[in-house]
Amino acid sequence: MTQELTPFLKELLSLPGLSGYEGPAREAIAAVWKPLVDEITTSKVGSLHALRRGSGAAPRPRILLSAHMDAIGLMVTGILGGLLRFTQIGGVDPRILPGQPVTVHGREALPGVVVSPPDALLPARLQGKPVDMEYLFVDTGLLPDDVKKMVRVGDLISFAQEPLDLAGDALAGHSLDNRASVAALTHCLKELQHMQHSWDVYAVASAQEETALLGAFTSPFDIRPDLAVAIDVTFAKGPGAGDHRAHPMGKGVALGYGPNIHPFLYKSFKDLADRLDIPTLMDVMPSHSGTDGYAMQVVAEGIPTMVISIPLRYMHTPVEVVALKDITRTGQLMAEFISRLEPDFMSKLTWED
Amino acid sequence: MKNLIQKLVETISPSGYEGTVRDLIRAEVEPLADEVRVDALGNLIVRKGKKGPNGVRVMFSAHMDEIGVMATHIDEKGFVRFTTIGGVRPHTCVGGRVHFITGVQGVIGMERPESPDRQPTFDQLFIDVGATSRADCPVKVGDIAGFTRPFLDLGDKIVAKSMDDRIACAVQIEALRALKKTDHEVYFVFSVQEEVGLRGATTAAYGVDPEIGISVDVTGTGDTPKSGFMEVALGNGPAIKVRDGRMLSDPRLVDLMVKTAEKAKLPYQLEILEGGTTDATAIQMARAGVPASCVSIPCRYIHSPSEMVDYRDVQNAVRLIVELLAHPIVLK
Repeated sequence: MTQELTPFLKELLSLPGLSGYEGPAREAIAAVWKPLVDEITTSKVGSLHALRRGSGAAPRPRILLSAHMDAIGLMVTGILGGLLRFTQIGGVDPRILPGQPVTVHGREALPGVVVSPPDALLPARLQGKPVDMEYLFVDTGLLPDDVKKMVRVGDLISFAQEPLDLAGDALAGHSLDNRASVAALTHCLKELQHMQHSWDVYAVASAQEETALLGAFTSPFDIRPDLAVAIDVTFAKGPGAGDHRAHPMGKGVALGYGPNIHPFLYKSFKDLADRLDIPTLMDVMPSHSGTDGYAMQVVAEGIPTMVISIPLRYMHTPVEVVALKDITRTGQLMAEFISRLEPDFMSKLTWED
Repeated sequence: MKNLIQKLVETISPSGYEGTVRDLIRAEVEPLADEVRVDALGNLIVRKGKKGPNGVRVMFSAHMDEIGVMATHIDEKGFVRFTTIGGVRPHTCVGGRVHFITGVQGVIGMERPESPDRQPTFDQLFIDVGATSRADCPVKVGDIAGFTRPFLDLGDKIVAKSMDDRIACAVQIEALRALKKTDHEVYFVFSVQEEVGLRGATTAAYGVDPEIGISVDVTGTGDTPKSGFMEVALGNGPAIKVRDGRMLSDPRLVDLMVKTAEKAKLPYQLEILEGGTTDATAIQMARAGVPASCVSIPCRYIHSPSEMVDYRDVQNAVRLIVELLAHPIVLK
């Protein structure tokens, strides 16, 4: 991974930017993208739209690359004796919560820890089992009256664990789903600085993928691209995920294949990757791709869509793990694809063969 | 306002068959509005004001449909089997009465249960309209019915079937009545088919193309014996939705509504509803996206024939909407 990309990814991981509240992540991404693009705006629901103009004759065709920037996390639902009750934003597995360090975004940011009551104090039917979210609390250390001054219903709670460099060029951290893809998209934009491309490129850091695919339903309506590509993470092989449905980590870019993906686009990406010796894996997606692509495909009159994924272990936990080289490969493949998009590519994109 | 509420809740108009309640609301709003139209799905779209220099186009949406049932089979003895329209639960049906939009009335009976502590399933329930044979049964397959239950005025608390969401229809009508002058182009949408998937609000929001979207709907409470945990309680003011099962409100709009309530010294509560959603979800997704939230009326026993709200919360919801429209709407 290029030297400046890893610190940027780590910076992104340290920012909350939970679904619906992407502001901090959006600002950090905008700062890095600004010198790489011609125009940068924010959508009505908080997605970041960055346009890098192509060199072709106007009107130019458009490709939209969407990596969601929102992160899963928790939200305060009530205060009980100074402890915070909470619910999830996006899919959080309550089994991994007890003992996690968190940040409570109250009137000011407060450190906190997720705690569960001692087993013996739980109702008999719940003893000896992982504790449901409704029995977990966040302890900020503050006295009850002070908690009420600092925290209210609806305040966000984000994971506070620092990212961790692992051996073998791997990184562990929360929110690598999908900030790893934001890093890949950033790498793509950097590569495009020294490449010619005739198409207009819209890089989108989308909002609220984890909760509603909101950015993916709305940004393409505004941008009206000819092609759309979702960049997300997919399941890498790990404990309990060893069969054919998971991919080896560090062995290449996963190319989505299934009804959510235009077959001609799959073939175009696959052929190009083979020519360039970029290793790929086929990511079979029989129905919902679980990515922005699912929404983008059916916006307005419909958009030919591609899904590209970075294999990741332990998805939706605070210790997601990715191989850094899968991130750069993903960005590299997108840039190479874009630079080869001819002005008449759309006339070749057909349903034959 | 209670007379209006009573008229609204005693009307039978399940999802897809909103004609009766639409006529009733149309008669109420026509003298108050600048423009009234009905779109292709049957949404009643009511405009007040034109967008001024500091104004925005804002859409409110209260759904006028209600949950109900639909006849699926008439047996040889004249008993009517049925399926549900929207989120009806079997335990709220037994002993209840239904009113078909054809005018026929009936009661819901139940097969002898296999075990007395097991709740019935819908295929164990039937409607008895007093018929003795298929031939003399006045109900045909496909006929639509709503639940009936008289409006009950307990003073501060009022109870009826379809408070969800006729109470919000009443709130929007009263807000329209109170809205004398505004810089905003205000659309009050009385939407169809919310209970079967936010269908009306989806097309209404596309058609109106608002800059701000706010649904007005009921929300649950956590203030009854052994209820699920929820901070919202009846009588503590209208609830400003932070999130529900399918939508995260725009935080800037939540802030604006909170500040508006605080400035006007109106009571309010912040709402997190863990299941269920409102028209705002559909508005938020319309076109290129719309900053959206919801003004909620706290309501006990939602989707039962006896939904209870606090009249003061209802009045304060009207005040909050009117107050919001009296000032510039700037999201920060």
